[in-house]
Amino acid sequence: MTGSAGSGGFVEVAADPVALYELSLAEGWGDGAPLLPPTEDRLEALLGATPHDRGSVLGDVPPRFGTATVELVAVNAAMAGVEPRAFGHVLAAMQAVLEPDWNAFGLTTTTSSVCPMLIVNGPSRDVLGIDYRAGCLGGAGGRGSMTIGRAVSLCLRNIGGQRAGETSRTVFGQPARFGLCFGEWEERSPWPSLASRRGFLPSQDVVMVHGGKGTYPLADVNNDDPRDLTYAIAKSLAFPLNNWYLELTGDSGQLVLLVNPMWARRLGEAFPRVEDFQQALWDDAWQPAQLFRPLNRAVLDEKGRIDAGGRVRLASRPDQFVPVVCGGLGGLHGVALTTFVQSEMQSVAVPPS
Amino acid sequence: MTAVDADRTVWRFPRPTAAPRGDTAAPTATLDGPIAGRRIGLRHEGSWRSWLLIVDDWVGRLRAHGAEPVVLQAGGRVGIDGVRTHHDITVWADEVEAGISGLGTCGSCTSNSVRDAVTLEALGKPAVVAVCGEFLQHARNMARYLGHADLKILELPYPLEARPADELREIAEAYYPRFVDLLGGRR
Repeated sequence: MTGSAGSGGFVEVAADPVALYELSLAEGWGDGAPLLPPTEDRLEALLGATPHDRGSVLGDVPPRFGTATVELVAVNAAMAGVEPRAFGHVLAAMQAVLEPDWNAFGLTTTTSSVCPMLIVNGPSRDVLGIDYRAGCLGGAGGRGSMTIGRAVSLCLRNIGGQRAGETSRTVFGQPARFGLCFGEWEERSPWPSLASRRGFLPSQDVVMVHGGKGTYPLADVNNDDPRDLTYAIAKSLAFPLNNWYLELTGDSGQLVLLVNPMWARRLGEAFPRVEDFQQALWDDAWQPAQLFRPLNRAVLDEKGRIDAGGRVRLASRPDQFVPVVCGGLGGLHGVALTTFVQSEMQSVAVPPS
Repeated sequence: MTAVDADRTVWRFPRPTAAPRGDTAAPTATLDGPIAGRRIGLRHEGSWRSWLLIVDDWVGRLRAHGAEPVVLQAGGRVGIDGVRTHHDITVWADEVEAGISGLGTCGSCTSNSVRDAVTLEALGKPAVVAVCGEFLQHARNMARYLGHADLKILELPYPLEARPADELREIAEAYYPRFVDLLGGRR
């Protein structure tokens, strides 16, 4: 299937960065921060870095169902400053976003703050500047992380027409809606990488897209036993206003648990198999029904969320807790990328360039 | 397709936006007759207790007017749940002769309510989506992007949630005639 990019014609602007920025704000195709001009040479460099034809159609992007051609994605990627060698990651991320079970239809229009959170595995992390060490969620400033995530957000905005307060009913949004892309510190993980666990080879570059509601911080210095730490993490994840408790079941969605390398080493000793760590998280990721006030408890009961033991479990299965090792060596901290629930993580391999 | 002026005084590039869907509007349908003897669908997601109360109230009123209410609880939209929900909606849409889908009182629930009403309307059956006022424009937008710009919308007060049950019953009673009118039915 093919299509033509630029269905709205062409933009002409004085070759001046400030003029470009001002026009992007005036016409609404900017995200509020300065952009680079998607000049012909830059566009051609991006398009030359992919085996896809420029007119190839990735799909129709909600909420307005604009058609995403490779060329139109390239225009937005160029504005975000994506390097040609990273363009495959942008296309892979967009393919993942357009998978029906990622549920872009719901996620782009919800009142929630959910957005695509990109997790990268593979050998190209360093060369592309994908942050996976200190400050990987923000502040590290790797070019790959900052531009790939932003390019995907620009595509949702400009191709899908996602606009807060208009087509998107998000109440708060979140900083990650500007773009969030980080890697896994595979070399410091005691477990197979996330991509490996999802069936890919270590030699492959893979982009996972998680529908994440936000970055929920965890911290601990009180638990020396990694099993106690796991218990404390699990109880923290099962906070009473977790989105999972809104649903009729806990069957869908994943929670991504970012584990710093120091915790990872301790947890890996206690749980050599990642499945055992996931099981331990699931075992304790619940709250007693009595924790909830009576009317709240009644609603949970009506939804069938209270089990025979009086537990209100967060999720239905251990595999819905997805550990990813990343972050600095300072230890102490973890982060939960909580779930929208009505979204399943998607993975797409980047074709070799 | 792109060009840069030789002297580089102008940047010219494809507009980064895509045209939205929604240039066409699918036809709507009406019952154009009494609701007695007709199978009327009422769809909810099990989430909004206000809407559940209203649906429950309208089930009684529809029965009192000789109609046969068919209630559907739409479940999750992804994974195995999503497959099941899609199946349930397809069966429900086939079974009923007209229906209402709700409740649009958040972003994704409005989108999904519209989508399920569109499923009904695409079969040529009278369809209404129930939406709280705050989400009215969003419902109109989504109906347009799904190719059913003329989808009938029942606007309900906002917010509905957390109102006392008695007040919700008054709202159910007050808006029932409008619901039937939008279907083109007669009581």
